Amino acid sequence: MSGLTLAVPSKGRLEELTRDWFAQNGLTITRPGGARSYLGAIEGMPDITVRFFPASEIARELIRGTIDIGVTGRDLIHETSETGPQSVHIAKPLGFGKADCVVAVPDAWIDVTHMHDLADVASDFRSRHGRWMRIATKYITITRQHFAKAGIAEYRTVESLGATEAAPASGVADIVVDITTTGSTLAANGLRVLQDGIMLQSEACLIVSRTAERNAQSQSQLAAFLAQLGASVDQ
Amino acid sequence: MTGAALRRANLEALVEAQGATRATPPLLLSADPYFDLAGEEFGRRLLLTTDTTGAEHCLRPDFTLPIVQSYIKDGVGKPAAFSYLGPIFRQRETGPAEFDQAGIELLAQPDGDIALDQVLTFARAALSIYGVAPQVRLGGVGLFEAMLVQADMPDAWRPRIRNRFGHTEALDRLLTRLEVAPDLPREQQPSREDLLEDVTAQMVTAGLSLSQGRTPAEIADRYLEQQALDAAHVPAKTLKLLRDYLAISGNVLQALTQVEALASQHRLMLGAPIRAIRRHLNCLGEARVTFDASFSPRLDYYTGIVFEMTGPTGEILASGGQYDRLLERLGAVAPIPASGCAVWVDRLEAELAP
Repeated sequence: MSGLTLAVPSKGRLEELTRDWFAQNGLTITRPGGARSYLGAIEGMPDITVRFFPASEIARELIRGTIDIGVTGRDLIHETSETGPQSVHIAKPLGFGKADCVVAVPDAWIDVTHMHDLADVASDFRSRHGRWMRIATKYITITRQHFAKAGIAEYRTVESLGATEAAPASGVADIVVDITTTGSTLAANGLRVLQDGIMLQSEACLIVSRTAERNAQSQSQLAAFLAQLGASVDQ
Repeated sequence: MTGAALRRANLEALVEAQGATRATPPLLLSADPYFDLAGEEFGRRLLLTTDTTGAEHCLRPDFTLPIVQSYIKDGVGKPAAFSYLGPIFRQRETGPAEFDQAGIELLAQPDGDIALDQVLTFARAALSIYGVAPQVRLGGVGLFEAMLVQADMPDAWRPRIRNRFGHTEALDRLLTRLEVAPDLPREQQPSREDLLEDVTAQMVTAGLSLSQGRTPAEIADRYLEQQALDAAHVPAKTLKLLRDYLAISGNVLQALTQVEALASQHRLMLGAPIRAIRRHLNCLGEARVTFDASFSPRLDYYTGIVFEMTGPTGEILASGGQYDRLLERLGAVAPIPASGCAVWVDRLEAELAP
């Protein structure tokens, strides 16, 4: 099949900023059915189908290869699958939607400033408290990878789908892994980011799927499209 | 019967011939004990499913845990031996997969040395069914612990170093940190009382429970301990010992001679754990055996000696060792000697593929 599928965020600030960015690069994304429609187009580019998806689904579909190009956060590529980063090519960071995925502990943990302190605390947490240290997070894959790298194995994650920063106060977890732009929400909840606690710096990116099947024609369409946007072509 | 079927029958016969109870734990197991025992790192490899109450279950990812659990449930104390052969399920990068695993578990045996010999012999025999003369890699958890206990350093550093044993990068980072520990003049530290008050106030403000998690006393004490540790350096000589020790890797006899030289240079008594390793070399026969001082599974219930066997492709075909702390971790009230191994049947079959 020739033609390309481009997926962009379906709602909110991210949708707006994405369409603005394309407009700045001379491409107008249209959404004929309005905000309730999930199909769109780019003016003057009939070979490109535009789909409006939630950002996390864009990451998933890029990794699966059911869409060719998408705009989503780097964090979601890392979180959706361990093989996410290999399955896609980051063609261009777009400069908005910036956020860091961080490890934060209660302010009161004055003895914990670095990941190595956390490793010490985790290692005898169980013998002191009869349970593992608990980490509230929406970012389970990223947490597991980062903690494995830091040599910390003695913890449990507690999946948190909203208001993660409240988990220590509500007793659900001891510490959090969360996304933050300024750190002010964390600070307001008495949490402090570890000095080496930034696990991932994320922003919205134009991302190309490596797993999508493309023939010679759609491959050259892709190259031309990326060139027009000043984005890099894979390899 | 030829080829794969014959090998499978021979393996089946070997598993049956261990004088052990054949264990067939259920395929569907509660996931919690795995998370509890091995943490998230292992947890991410489980194939999970949730029941209507929200409790998590997993497809059997190994045999050891259900075997040991049911042994504890039936009342510990009596020597027991179990063998198994059957499917296990793990997540792989390429998707979920089903593998066959064979193995033995020897629990509460009167002689841990003899038990480990039986485990090694079993693993070797299983590999030889597939025509594999393995490379055997030995690790000394007991040896490392014996060295650590005797090495000259502030006590608080020992558990921190032990905890990183088996994770080469994390241990290296810790040693590097200790090597460059700066002699910064410390500010006058607040008293423990002031700290306690301060930490308690912060916890109350943030709405944290003072008893459900880390307590103010625990935090204040560790804070003071950190300050003391920064001042109480691990002697450079000890750091050199640790570095030299962890770098030892190679032919087992040469490696153990190097360990002995290091021990005598630093006046450490490591005779017993070294002899324990030597005793097992006989039953490894003509296999190429190496000793790697830094090699250990990242699970703190391993004790004594651990091993891995690899074939020509470098894939791990069998692994195991002694884990005398496992039963305690699973609820037994006293340490109970345990040893065992698991053999990866599919990988063995793959070794034969042309």
